[in-house]
Amino acid sequence: MNHHYPVLIVTLPLLFAFVVSGTAWVKKSLCFPLTVAGMGLSAWFSICLLGQVATTGPVEYRLGGWAMPWGIGYRVDTLNGMVIAVVTVLAFINLIATRKTVVQETPDKTGAFYSLYLLFVVGLTGILVTGDLFNLYVLLEVASLTSYALIGMGNGRAPMSALNYLFLGTLGGCFYLLGVGYLYIMTGSLNMADVATLLPPLFKSSAIVMAFIFCMAGVSIKMAFFPLHMWLPNAYGNAPTAAGSLIAPLMTKVMVYVLIRLMLTIFSVDFVFVILKMGPPMVWMSSLAIAAGAVFALAQKNLKRMLCYIIVSEIGYMMGGAWLGNNAGMTGAVLHIFNDAIMTLCLFLCAGSIYYRTQGLEMERLKGLFRKMPVTMACFVAGALSIIGVPPTCGFFSKWYLISGGLAAGQYAFVAALIFSSLVNAILFFRVIEISYYGDFETHNAHGSSGAAVMESPASMLVPLIIVSTGLVVVGLYTGGIVNHLIHPIVLKAGFSG
Amino acid sequence: MKAIGLIIVVLVGALLLYSTEDFPSWGDPASPASVHVAAHHLKKAIPETSVPNVVTAVLADYRGYDTMFETSVIFCAGLGCFVLLRLFKKRDDDSYYRHVATGITLHIKKDKIPDASSEFERIDTLWTPYDLIVKNVCRILAPFVQLFALYVIAHGHHSPGGGFQGGVILGASVILIAISHDMRTALGRISEKTVHILMAVGVLIYSGIGALCILMGRNFLDYAALSRILFTDKIEARSLGIFGVEVGVGITVMAVMISIYNNLSSEGRQDEGL
Repeated sequence: MNHHYPVLIVTLPLLFAFVVSGTAWVKKSLCFPLTVAGMGLSAWFSICLLGQVATTGPVEYRLGGWAMPWGIGYRVDTLNGMVIAVVTVLAFINLIATRKTVVQETPDKTGAFYSLYLLFVVGLTGILVTGDLFNLYVLLEVASLTSYALIGMGNGRAPMSALNYLFLGTLGGCFYLLGVGYLYIMTGSLNMADVATLLPPLFKSSAIVMAFIFCMAGVSIKMAFFPLHMWLPNAYGNAPTAAGSLIAPLMTKVMVYVLIRLMLTIFSVDFVFVILKMGPPMVWMSSLAIAAGAVFALAQKNLKRMLCYIIVSEIGYMMGGAWLGNNAGMTGAVLHIFNDAIMTLCLFLCAGSIYYRTQGLEMERLKGLFRKMPVTMACFVAGALSIIGVPPTCGFFSKWYLISGGLAAGQYAFVAALIFSSLVNAILFFRVIEISYYGDFETHNAHGSSGAAVMESPASMLVPLIIVSTGLVVVGLYTGGIVNHLIHPIVLKAGFSG
Repeated sequence: MKAIGLIIVVLVGALLLYSTEDFPSWGDPASPASVHVAAHHLKKAIPETSVPNVVTAVLADYRGYDTMFETSVIFCAGLGCFVLLRLFKKRDDDSYYRHVATGITLHIKKDKIPDASSEFERIDTLWTPYDLIVKNVCRILAPFVQLFALYVIAHGHHSPGGGFQGGVILGASVILIAISHDMRTALGRISEKTVHILMAVGVLIYSGIGALCILMGRNFLDYAALSRILFTDKIEARSLGIFGVEVGVGITVMAVMISIYNNLSSEGRQDEGL
């Protein structure tokens, strides 16, 4: 059974997704338990897989029993092992936490919603676990298509934002596919490890350079790297609560993983940093992304849209860290994938919990919420401290690695951008906290919802939220272990010196 | 803005041209793409899978895992159309009925809609002419279309065809009924519930065969594991496994085609429409 873990992580939620979609037409009440079962099994196996990979080294799996370059293969090392674990566990927690909001927002389509939910997670885990360039594209399609549908289920302008996302997302997918096509023309293979061994003699070829640029462009659109971020705030801001807090923390992080995988495993550090010398300009772009995201976030009047622009800024952190081209920068980028997923989920769950009671997330609706929803707001503060980067929380540690990487590489603009965005984040969150702590709910609440109706969210939302926010501190305290056992082996193997 | 777009297009076009410089020449038998993996597939497909159509062998066996997710993509598309378009609200305007014996059309107020009877049939608000010839020709044609669809699915091993193409033709036969009669007739033959369950069943057959291979002690989608329950040798089992997943693909594609058509043409209400 052990060696089937990689495939079970992907195919169990897949099987459950189809069962849920069929069951929805027979017995609706079974949909949620079945989804929990599928998601839970996937999360459990991904933790087992991470344990296996951390103790015995990389795991390979041949699909259909075919040897690697001839058929499709899975390859899991600690890099994707840890991202898979965080993706499936967070998706599971989000599933439990948002049960009531799904019933509230999409009452007659819950079956289809949960089926799409599972398929989206299938897409993400499939992207993470695969060792095949084309298989990655197919799963990218699954993840994208389901996210368009999930986002389009929201109210108001959600279908329009989903359409906008669809146009840009399809463009991103096409760029990536074109890049893979170029690689196939030049090497004749789609297997990542095989392509990596065939590439070095071709490094000077213009076609390979273009393949790299196309893959990077596609992935950058998909991860909303400034200035290609236009689709993100509307799409994530207008999505239904459960879909927003699923897609926003996970999708962009998985795309950053794809970028790092392409850089480290397929094109190799030599090609990216020595032959192309793309490091410095990309770090500049990332610094710009960090600053722009922070400034845009300042201009927002809606809590969820503010969080969306913070994601744009955070993408800049990870891109910059990856392109710094040294050990600390890459370590910081990988660690930040892990940490940022947790803290973004924490904040989006808080926003979802508030929305569940207030039916709106404009800043003036937050007045007096500390008294009405103390637990939710306490968790919000924890998430905010982590995004700002206050020491015991995990956000501090990845930022520390990023800053020391920036200093080591002499990229002072990047360091300045990081510090600037931390300060802006502090302003942003203390503004929200000030409004919700000192504002008087009863007198200032001009909108329809009466003050008495707003109270603390049900326990089914609060317990997962508390788990996530304690996770912020726990992960922060275990940073040393994560870096030494999971990230350093990968970074050192890729050719960065300690 | 247009000028910027033009500049970008020209720039990307120039980059694309620049990159073709290092491409292997057109149709070069020594190019990497034709000597590495593809050559192996061409040489080994028949001895390893006993499928004469190499495209099918690559599609459903060597890269069968990709095809499973391509089918899932189709499933997602169907489900996406359903969640975005479907409205669970009855049309609240008047209805039109035809007296079957005389062909007289009746306009009935929304609160006086009669119970179902064999003497009256409901017709669409955007009235379509009643045409005996079109109706009957399409009705007679449908089974032949379906027969051809089954042939296309089953013959994918030997000739161009397979689950995707056959599934589309199967779906087209039902859509033909919906176009020539009306949507309610088509829904009477195959209801929305049936369509949605079939949608899930098709991909479940595909992924279920994959999971069965794990239960039989080999890797996911390793059809050779099925030789014990199919009472054949391992190579023949691969061929039969491919047939099994093709059937699954066909069912899903058919159901998705019908579902998307129904939702699009009736604006999600699934009662009136072409």
